[in-house]
Order: sequence, then C-alpha cells, then structure tokens
Amino acid sequence: MGFRFDLLLLFTTLVLLLTTTPTVLSDVILSKVDRRIDLTSQIVRVTSTLKVENAGPGPVSEVLLTFPEIQAKNLAYLKATLNEGKGKVKNSGSNLPINVANPEELPPSLIFHSVSLPKALGEGDSLTIDVLAVFTHVLRPFPEEITQADIQLVLFQDTAHYLSPYAVKVQSLTVKLPKARIEMYTKLENTNIHGSDIKYGPYENLPPFSYAPVVVHFETNQPFAVAQELVREIEISHWGNVQVTEHYNIVHGGAKSKGEFSRLDFQARPHLRGASAFRNLVAKLPPRAHSIYYRDEIGNISTSNVWGDPKKTELLIEPRYPLFGGWRTTFTIGYGLPLQDFLFGSEGKRFLNFSFGSPLNDLVTDNLIVKVVLPEGSDDISISTPFPVKQGHETKISHLDVAGRPVVVLEKTNVVPEHNQYFQVYYRFNKLSMLREPFMLISGFFILFVSCIVYMHVDLSISKSSASYLAKLQWDEVRATIQQVISIINQCLSKHERLEASLHDLSRTGDVQACKTARKTADSSFKEYSKELKPLLSFLQSSPQATQILPKVEELVAKEKELQERLIAKHSTIVDCYEKKIGGRELENRVASHQLKVVALKQEVEDLLDYVEEI
Amino acid sequence: MGSKAAAISSPVPVAWYPTLAVFMLAIGLIVTASFFIYEATSSRRNRSLAKELTTGAIASLFLGFGSLFLLLASGVYV
Repeated sequence: MGFRFDLLLLFTTLVLLLTTTPTVLSDVILSKVDRRIDLTSQIVRVTSTLKVENAGPGPVSEVLLTFPEIQAKNLAYLKATLNEGKGKVKNSGSNLPINVANPEELPPSLIFHSVSLPKALGEGDSLTIDVLAVFTHVLRPFPEEITQADIQLVLFQDTAHYLSPYAVKVQSLTVKLPKARIEMYTKLENTNIHGSDIKYGPYENLPPFSYAPVVVHFETNQPFAVAQELVREIEISHWGNVQVTEHYNIVHGGAKSKGEFSRLDFQARPHLRGASAFRNLVAKLPPRAHSIYYRDEIGNISTSNVWGDPKKTELLIEPRYPLFGGWRTTFTIGYGLPLQDFLFGSEGKRFLNFSFGSPLNDLVTDNLIVKVVLPEGSDDISISTPFPVKQGHETKISHLDVAGRPVVVLEKTNVVPEHNQYFQVYYRFNKLSMLREPFMLISGFFILFVSCIVYMHVDLSISKSSASYLAKLQWDEVRATIQQVISIINQCLSKHERLEASLHDLSRTGDVQACKTARKTADSSFKEYSKELKPLLSFLQSSPQATQILPKVEELVAKEKELQERLIAKHSTIVDCYEKKIGGRELENRVASHQLKVVALKQEVEDLLDYVEEI
Repeated sequence: MGSKAAAISSPVPVAWYPTLAVFMLAIGLIVTASFFIYEATSSRRNRSLAKELTTGAIASLFLGFGSLFLLLASGVYV
C-alpha cells in the first residue's frame, strides 16, 4: 500500500504548512470552486471552475494552482481559460499563460503552477477561471493481476477538499465514473451518489491546504491503450504529397493478465471472458488520406477498415490478437495526404501546419517522437509549437538524395489527445531545387547514352597491326565508300524524278523555258556527281576487300549513267517537239523507244541498288 | 495561420502523373530506339557526333521526366 504512505507523508507536510503559511498568499480567496473529475477513460480529466476574489489591498496578477507531487508527475496537460460570464459562450481562445512556480517557504512535495491573469485584479474584484488538468497513469489497477474471466478494478485517489494555498469559501466535487460496478468509495460528510456520479460537498469555509483524501475503487473496461513509444515521421514532397508513417509500440496498461488465455472462451463469451481486453483501435485521420496501410514486421495485417467523409477519414485497426493487461503489440500505419492541405507559404517562407499527437482515439503516449522530413535543399528552419517540446535535428537519406534531407525531431513525454494541436515548421526552399530529382534521372540516362557513343567510337582492339584488324579497317572503309556511292546514286535518282516532273509540268502548261532551266541544273549536278564518284570508284578498284562487290557497284554506276543519258535524250526530244510544235502521235512515236528503255533501266538500277545496300 | 498564407500545391496536378509517365516514356523509348538504330547502322566514318549527342540528350530528357512521373504515379514521392 505504497500510496497510503504517500498520503501520510503529504498529510504531515500539510499540517506543517498550516502553521507556516506565508501571508502573501492569503490576499486571494476562492469564493467558489467546482470540480469535476472524469474517470470514464484511462485518461483522468479534472475540470475546475475557480472563482477568484481579491480580499487584500494590493493588486493580484497571478493565481497559484497546487498539485501534490505524486499527481504532478503524471500531469500531462494543464490549461487555464478565462470564463467570462455564465450565459456567454466560453471563450476558448484566451488560454492564460501558465508557468511552473516554486515559491519559497513552501515544501517541495507540492508543485505549484502560476496562472497569469490578463489584468491585475483590484481589491474586491473577482473573476472565474476554468482549469483543465489531464493526468495519465493515475488509475491504479487493484488487484494488480487478474485472470481472463475477472473484471478489471481500478483505484483512484484524490482529495475531496480542493488543495489550494488559498482559503476556499464554497466548494464541491463530482466524480464521474463509467457505468459499471462501484466496489467502494470513501464516504465523508455530504457524500451522495447519483447513478455513476459521486458527489462530495458542498463544503464551506475551509482554510488553505485543506486535504481530505478520498479513494474510489471501481470497475472499468475502457481500453487502456498506452503507446510506450510512438515515432511519427512526416515526409514532405513538393511533388504533391505529405507521407505520414507512424510506428507504434502499444501495451495494455491495465491490470496484468495472469493464468492462461483461452481463445475459445474469449470467442464464445467476449463480454465475460475478456471484458478487460480490447480488440481494436480507431484512428481519426485527416480528410482525403490515401494509400493507407497497416502492417508490422511480419507483413500486412488485413484486419482493418476505412471510412471516409469530407471531414475526416476513420481507420479501424485490429491488432493480430486481443490485448489483455500487460500484453503488447507493435505495428506501423502509414498514409499519404494531399500537399495543399498542410503546406502553406507566407512571406517567402513555407510552413507545414500539422497536428502533433497520435490520431488514435484515447491513446496515452509515454514517449512521442515527431520527425518532420523536409525536402532536400530546405534551409533556415524554425519551429513553432503550442507547448514546449525537445527539439533536435537529423538528416535522412531517401530516394534520389545527394546530401540528405534535413529532419526536425520533436520529442515529448506523456502525451494525451489534448496535445493534438497544430504545430508549424517553417523553412525556406528554392523552387528550382525541385528539379534536382529529374535532373539526376536525366543525367543518369544521358551517361548511359554517352557511354554507348564512347563505346562505338573508341577502337578497343589490342593488336593494332594484326591482319584481321587491318582487314576490318579496310572493310570499314569499303563499306563507308559504298554507302557514299549509294547516297550519290540516290541523289541522282531524285534528280531524275525532278526532270520527269518538269516534263509533266510542260505537258500541262507548255512552258518550255522552265523545262530548259530544270535541264540545265540537272546537267550541272550530274556533272558534280560523276566528279564525286570518280575517286570513290578508284578507291574501290584499288582495294582488295572490294573485289567481290566491285563489279556490281560498277554495273550500278554504268546503268545509272545509261539511264541518265536516256532520260536526257527523252527530255531533249520532248522539249524539241514542243519547240517545233510537233504534237500528238508523232511525239509519242519519237519518245516511245526512250520511254521503254528508261523504265527498264530504272528497274535494273533499283535492283542493283537493293543488292549493293544488302552488303 | 495568417490570412496571407497561401496553400502550396505541386507544380503539376497529381492526377496527370500516370498519363505524363506513359507518354513521356513512350516518346523517350522511341527516341532511344532511333539512337541505337543509328549507332548500329551507320559506319564509323560517316557517323556524326553532334547527331548522336542530340538524340541521346532528347531521349534522356524524355526518359528522365518519364521515369520521375512513373515514380510519382506509383506512390514513390521523391
């Protein structure tokens, strides 16, 4: 019974305190205190409404809140807001600043937090403050070990009198329990029970540091999901995605399970044989979440379900086995989010606006690590969080990175759903840095092409004087020459077509002059071609490698020449006839012989060309 | 968040990624094919280095962006 001893210790310090209370604190009195303790989940939420009155002469600018040390170490979240009038809507935006205060002359077993008031309270003035304190790990399972069939009972201890360095005029306390069995509760004067609510008070005119320990022992079957460690990795890609990966290490924080586990009993009567276990967890993800996965070291876990609506995405995940007290499981969930919902730009800087805590409902996180992976090339990083966190920096090497991406690491212990507030990571990023990744890919491919080019251009043979190497060189030269010959022949053939076309024009328009100029240009280019052909042919004749192909090439050239002559003859005949105005049958008779020869030669040249090209 | 803060989205709409990937890779592969055909058919003497380099550059440009969009479309956000 460790906590009984704690209480005793606390009580003795309180008694000591009563005799030595400094007078400074007694200027303030609390005219009304209303406390509500919500024990319906594993997270204990204490909401207190304090009516603060200044009874002393001097102005008061801060109010002290007191927690015993044993509670203070489990305090996860503390928020004070100004409650302006009863009828009005509560102004939740005006959070009052809270600092840890350690007034002298007060014992260290009490932890003080001082709430700064927006304006100093004059003599006789009063105002109302709402204080929300959230505690974790304060519900103590008793008995500490249960079997599968047992129900889970927990103990909760607090004081019925509001612990405060100020005198309290009127106060009351309501303890809200889950709708289940209440094993035992401390009965003081003015204790009432309504359904699952226990009401202590009202008590009047209590001196400072009044303390009346109360203990409630009750059944609770709420999931005691505690993440001993949660690593959230938020990776920004400016190509349109925020990737979130969450690594959970979850344990059932309730009464430890003892004895064997019977799956049959659990399956048949889950409410009697396994009431303390939980089967599933629900995560509330941001809207438009996509590519959601749920897996662990073994692989995908198929027992999950997703519902989406425009306001949120709900993910129900079922671990591989139901979790009993003390059992643990590890898994990873991941999802992608659209960039434009979370990344904003202002004054040349970009910032990520993201929620801090875990998306799982009613989860206590003992140690939360949030890593924000910024794109490569981000600098001038600054962080803004609504509550103090430990900050660090890392680098992460990911796809297509050279120097690594800057990572902001935020660490916080004892995180509750109340910490699911937005935090901002500001950074500077040059838009051109986005082109790094495509540039890397492009240069990768380009290097491949360049190496191909180099391979084709470089002579890799070892012996530069061997016969086969020399033969290969010569053969290459012969091939290149033949290619040149072919290209010249092709040019000639296209010139022939041009001539034919000019004849065609002549028959339509009768323009003899145009036909003559076409003939002239053709003549000059034919001359050039034959000049170009000469050295090529002589090279082929001299080369021993070309002996086999040479006759064909020579034949090709000769045939082409003949074709050329025939065509020119045909051309000049027609032009002649037009000039002499000879038409009709006579013209056809004169041309017919040429025409036949031209067609036959053309066919031969084309056949030879095909043959030579094959080589 | 101030009112001046403007949402930042990707320079290319995410929905276009698969289409862009298919088309750019197709063009890139065609140009690559023509590059290798040219390498294999032209003889060592009358091969033009400038032509080889430009074909390679165009092919790698299309293949680079195509593979980037392929990565993005398949969920690997680089």
